[in-house]
Amino acid sequence: MPVRADLVSTDLAERSIGPSTTSRSPRTVVASLTTRKAIRSGLLWGLVFGVSIASSAISYTSIYKTQAQRDALAAAYGSNHATSMLFGPAPDLGGVAGFTVFKISMTLMILGAVWGLLFSTRMLRGEEDSGRWEHLVVGQTTKQGATGQALVGMSVGAAVLWGITAVITVAVGLDDTVAFSIGASLFFALAMVASAAMFLAVGAVTSQLGATRRQAASYAGVFLGLSYVIRMIADAGIGVHWLVWASPLGWIEELGALTAPNPLALIPIVLFTGSLVIGAVRLAGARDLDASVIADHPRRRPRLGLLWGPVGLGVRMARATVMGWWAAISVMALLYGFVARSAAASISSSSVGDVFKKLGAEGNGAKAVLGACFLVFAVLLAFVATSQLTALRAEEAEGRLEQLVVRPLSRSSWLGGRIAVALVVLVVGGLLAGIFTWFGSASQGAGVSLPSLLGAGVNVLPPAVVVLGIGVLTYGLRPGLTSVVAYAVLGWSLLIVIVGGIGAVSPWILDTSVFHQMASAPATAPRWGANAIMVALGGALALLGVVAFRARDLSGE
Amino acid sequence: MDTSEGVPAIETTGLTKAYGGTEVLSDLDLRVERGEVVGFLGPNGAGKTTTIKLLLGLIKPTRGRAAVFGLDCGAQAVEVHRRVGYVAGEANLWPALTGAETLHLLGRVQGSVDEAYRDLLVARFELDLDKKVRAYSKGNRQKVILIAALMGRPDLLIFDEPTSGLDPLMERAFRLCVSEARERAQTIFLSSHLMSEVEALCDRVGVLRKGKLIEMGSLAAMRHLSSLSVEATMQGELPELASVPGVSGVEEDGQVVRCQVQGSIEPLMKVLSAGGVTRLVSREPSLEELFLAHYGEADHHAGEGRPGVD
Repeated sequence: MPVRADLVSTDLAERSIGPSTTSRSPRTVVASLTTRKAIRSGLLWGLVFGVSIASSAISYTSIYKTQAQRDALAAAYGSNHATSMLFGPAPDLGGVAGFTVFKISMTLMILGAVWGLLFSTRMLRGEEDSGRWEHLVVGQTTKQGATGQALVGMSVGAAVLWGITAVITVAVGLDDTVAFSIGASLFFALAMVASAAMFLAVGAVTSQLGATRRQAASYAGVFLGLSYVIRMIADAGIGVHWLVWASPLGWIEELGALTAPNPLALIPIVLFTGSLVIGAVRLAGARDLDASVIADHPRRRPRLGLLWGPVGLGVRMARATVMGWWAAISVMALLYGFVARSAAASISSSSVGDVFKKLGAEGNGAKAVLGACFLVFAVLLAFVATSQLTALRAEEAEGRLEQLVVRPLSRSSWLGGRIAVALVVLVVGGLLAGIFTWFGSASQGAGVSLPSLLGAGVNVLPPAVVVLGIGVLTYGLRPGLTSVVAYAVLGWSLLIVIVGGIGAVSPWILDTSVFHQMASAPATAPRWGANAIMVALGGALALLGVVAFRARDLSGE
Repeated sequence: MDTSEGVPAIETTGLTKAYGGTEVLSDLDLRVERGEVVGFLGPNGAGKTTTIKLLLGLIKPTRGRAAVFGLDCGAQAVEVHRRVGYVAGEANLWPALTGAETLHLLGRVQGSVDEAYRDLLVARFELDLDKKVRAYSKGNRQKVILIAALMGRPDLLIFDEPTSGLDPLMERAFRLCVSEARERAQTIFLSSHLMSEVEALCDRVGVLRKGKLIEMGSLAAMRHLSSLSVEATMQGELPELASVPGVSGVEEDGQVVRCQVQGSIEPLMKVLSAGGVTRLVSREPSLEELFLAHYGEADHHAGEGRPGVD
């Protein structure tokens, strides 16, 4: 029997215009959505920040118990320009505060900056890329209003990051052997979170400049790299320390948290962040939706070179990001190579050598220094592996994979191809680390051979392969958790390295870190047997992941 | 040599898909012969897209079997895909690639492309191939995946809301492509919300409701399922029609009376003639009316709100 269509539409209309049951104001929905995500992320990273600070402080007091040991540490690093370039100046290694600043602050500054720029570009340009932003800005807000709301949400995330970091720092500071005042702890936590806040704002601006999230993150990443390089030059001891005021990372250094507090250095931080926030909001209002300040040419001649299949497509899609990673690894390797010899000279005395070993290095001389440096490459490559996994999952979640696997292409071929691309990216990254470290160290006559450094470059690959394997298995079983699990494994392993390098951690817990079985090459010879086991483990996990992927349904976001 | 001669293009037996204990497709028995153009209708959540994803092996059946040209859709998915062109309702493509690059890539993965036909399709759909996908409108992205599916001249074309985002002129271009495919004896399986599209293109129509195939037949056969709509303008007093055999849904509006008739119209004609009818309009139901007749408003909404199901 025919049904009156007007009844259907009337009912639909009533449903859609009926009283709202949500408590969220339509005018602040963007802020609410961003705040929710920012709080989750801020909580997680706040824990990482806080535990890192706490472990540095506590370990110093437990390991360097005597004044002689502390003096030896201060002698090794107190006036070493090479380590100052890499990690910032060592203010006062005779005390727990100075050691904590030296050991952890640069790492947290960079981690915070990377978190800030990635989170900001995801919440702004990433949302616009996905098309969700359009639905939000046609609501009861404007483009600039939505951007402002997103920034408010992000600032809540930064506040949570600071809050968690501060609580843990205050708690550890109350320990008699650490003895940070509450004010000093709060100020140190603020300093550590300042880079996150600044780079949230940087990401907000680059989200207006770039046409895609990748472009926006790349612009922000280049800015971070420049900031780091400028600070390095300023701390090189060549009479240009004033340059530190030209780098946002330098401003944080000048805050002198825990050692020589200088709140006036907050002024450039606040002005910089504030002006970028205002700039981002204004640029968002001034440009068209989906457009960018830096023109993105919508037309061009086809470039078919790599588009012969899914592997070529994977290479094409990843190449800009991968080239960036390779460039960063190469530059870092070159710098590490440059400073290795002079750093080694500082640890020539046996007592300082002992101290250095406690910091995680093994062996002697430049090789010992580089052994510690290659741990950084291991972490970076594991991070590259996780970013490859995130990209892999995005292909499926955003529906593009479907376009490939509805054609005569097996799922295992596609996933196997992408894993192969990721492995090539990792291997080349490891080799570049070895080659460029050799360039740097050879130019300074450090006396470390190329084969030894290439071996060290290969030696840092197995942890990344294990992370890749775990990620692929997760992708095969629970695709929605791929990034979470991969980053959790990486974060946990990094945390264990930070804490375990100081000692006082159960061997069982140490074994849960993917970095723990890695030899400190080139300080010591790589343990090829252990490496082979790790690679086999990663390979087996990846294989299981491929099997699981074949057996499951494709799923969207 | 094609060893699958004689087997249907699509055959499903007891095909069922459940998510968390809820069946979104139940015991689907479907047979589409080679060269047929079959429409698949149903409201949101009825199970149309689920069926298509099962046919393409993108998701695995909870039970039952699906075969395309006699090939198992799960175990022999790659062989199935070699003979299938698929157009999704949403064209998710790589934003940084241009249209030309996307067609090149998808053609390489498909393995066979009729280049002359591809060029004809590009001209027909007026697609600017030098533009990046990011700069395309939704309709233009849809054109890309339409061309990509058609350019390989596959034996079976599966369309899931293929014309979403296309303007009327481009819809006409699409219908022309379907006609050409039919002339080449390609099989077409078309899921659509556009009744006019299905009505214009399809030989047979299947109707899904809450995951079950409730009707499958030719358009002519389905029309018999529904009543005839009659609108009569009377000279004098309106006759009592409710008691006339086969008549239902009587509505009066001044001198106009409307009703539906099932079965023979003769008893109604006798009453109307006796009452002095001055104008009589009768028509067969459109597919849309048939569709609504099958669902009713309550059912039409019942499928909504089930996530991930179509």
